[in-house]
Amino acid sequence: MSALTFELKGKPDQRLDLSPLTPAKLKDLKANEIESLTIGTTRRKLAVGDAFKIKGNDAGSLRFVGTDGRCDKIGAGLAENEIVVDGDAGAYLGDAMKGGKIVVKGSAGVLAGASMSGGSIVIDGNAGERAAGIAVGETLGMRGGQLTIKGNAGPMLGERMRRGFVIVGGNTGDYAGGRMVAGTILFKRGVGRYAGYGMRRGSLIFVEEPKEVLPTFGDCGVMEFDYLRILERWLRSTGEHIGLGDRARRLMGDMAALGKGEMLIVG
Amino acid sequence: MSELKLKGVTVVDTFAEAFPMVGTRIIITAPTPEWALIAARTMTGFATSVIAAGAEAGIERTLSPDETLDGRPGVAVLIFTMDTNKLQVQLRNRVGQCVLTSPGSACFAGLEGEKKLKLGASLRFFGDGWQMSKKIGGRRFWRIPVMDGEFVCEATTGLTKKAVGGGNLLVLGKSRAAVLSACERAVRAIDEVPEVITPFPGGIVRSGSKVGSKYKGQIASTNDAYCPTLKAAVKTALPLEVEAVLEIVIDGLTKESIAKAMRAGIHAITDGGAEQGITHITAGNYGGNLGPHHFHLKEIIA
Repeated sequence: MSALTFELKGKPDQRLDLSPLTPAKLKDLKANEIESLTIGTTRRKLAVGDAFKIKGNDAGSLRFVGTDGRCDKIGAGLAENEIVVDGDAGAYLGDAMKGGKIVVKGSAGVLAGASMSGGSIVIDGNAGERAAGIAVGETLGMRGGQLTIKGNAGPMLGERMRRGFVIVGGNTGDYAGGRMVAGTILFKRGVGRYAGYGMRRGSLIFVEEPKEVLPTFGDCGVMEFDYLRILERWLRSTGEHIGLGDRARRLMGDMAALGKGEMLIVG
Repeated sequence: MSELKLKGVTVVDTFAEAFPMVGTRIIITAPTPEWALIAARTMTGFATSVIAAGAEAGIERTLSPDETLDGRPGVAVLIFTMDTNKLQVQLRNRVGQCVLTSPGSACFAGLEGEKKLKLGASLRFFGDGWQMSKKIGGRRFWRIPVMDGEFVCEATTGLTKKAVGGGNLLVLGKSRAAVLSACERAVRAIDEVPEVITPFPGGIVRSGSKVGSKYKGQIASTNDAYCPTLKAAVKTALPLEVEAVLEIVIDGLTKESIAKAMRAGIHAITDGGAEQGITHITAGNYGGNLGPHHFHLKEIIA
C-alpha cells in the first residue's frame, strides 16, 4: 500500500475545491469513483480525473503533488490521518479540520486553518491573510489544534481565535491576534501594526520586541513565568527549539475590549 | 505457629492485612529542591492515618529538573483516602493551603488515569477572574496570579482505585533503641521503592491500634497484645524478653509495590538486626476477614 497521490496534470483553468478529497471520504471509493468526483467551482464541470493523475491506493495517507495556489480547501474537515502537500495550497487549507495532520511543503493561501478545532497544520512556506481566522459563516476563528507557519503570515492572523496554538517563524502582518477570544500565538520574528487589536483574552508571545504596541495595552513590567518554562520544554519535545527563557515583560489588553489578554515579550 | 529464621531474626508465619484505597500522585516543583520539599512536607503533614487525619500522604521521591514539566526541581507526592470524594476534598484543601501558598511553587499531575481529580480546576477560583487557562500538548494548566508571579497548576490529575493501604511490618526487639534503629533502616530501604509511602512520623508508628475500644465512640484503641507493659494482663503476642515494638505502615499505588516495599523493609531489618537485639518480624491483621489484600511474610521473602 502506498500513499494515495494526486498529481496535478497542468494549470487548471478554474479554482479547485478539493474538500471531497479527505481520507474519510475516499476510504470506501474505487479508483473510478474517485476520478469522477467533482472538484470544479464554475459552471464548467471538472472532475478529479480531469485535473489529477492518481497513483497509489492507501486513502489513509494522501499526497498532493504539484499543486498551486488555486487548489482550495485541501484537508477541509479532516478528522484523522495525514495529508502531505508537495506544492502550494490555495485558500481554506484545513478549513474546520478536527484532527489529523496536514503538511504543506510550499505556501498556503488565505484562511489556512480557519476555524479549525483540532489536529495540526505545518506550512513550510508562507500563509496568506486570516490564517487561523474566521471561516465564512463562523463566529469564531481557530478553536483548537496547532498551526505552524515556518515562513511569513499575512494580516489578521488568528482573528477571533478561541483556543489552540499558532507559531509563526517569519514575519507577521497587521492586526495579528485581532479580536482574539483566547488561545496562544507565538511570534518568532516581527509583527506588523495593531497586534492584539480588540483582544479579550489569550496570549501573544513575542521573541522579538514588537516595533509598535497599541496604546490600549497596559504594561505590567518584567517578571518570571513558569508558564514559559513549560511551553519551551514542550516545544522542544515537538522539535521546535525556541529559547523562551523564564522572564518576560507582560502587557495586558486590549483595554478597549475585555482587557484580559496578554503580550509576553521574552528576553 | 511455624516460624522462619532470617539472619537470626524470627519471621513469624503470618500476613499483613491491607485495604483497598483510592490514591493519586502529584508533582510539586519549586525554584530550589529545598522549597519543593518544604511545599511537599507541608502538604503531607498531618496525613498519617485516615482514622482521624483525613488522608494518608507522603513523599514518594524527589525529582531532578530534567524529570519535571517546567525543568525545575520537584517532589512526587502520593495521597490516599478511602473514597474518591474524600480524596478530592483532601487534595483541594492540601494543595490549596500548602502548595499554592508556598513561594515559587507549581503543581502538576503525576498519574495518568481515565478518572480524574480536580486540581487547578478547583483552585483556579482563587484567581478571582484573573486566572488564565492554557492548553499545552493536550494538557490543561491554570495560571493563577499570586504575589510572587503566577501559580501554575495542572487542571486535573489521574486517580487510581487500585491503591492499597495498610501494608505493615511489626518489629519486635530487646530494646527500644534497637527497634527504632532497625525501623529507620527499613524506612530508608522502602524510600527507594517506587509507588509507595510510609505515612507515619518518619515512616514509623509506635502506637499500633486495634479496631474498637471499651469506650463508646472510640473507633480504634491501643493494640494491647503488643504493648510490652501489659504482658502479664492481656493475651499478649510478645515473648517476655521483648521490650519494644514498632510498626511500619506502607501505602502504595499497587499491591505489587507494597509487596516490594515490605520485602525491602524485612531485609533491611534483618541485616544486622539479630546482633542489635531484634527478635521477631511479624505483621498486623484482623484475622483476614476485613481486608482483601493479604501479604504473607513467608511469600514476600521467598
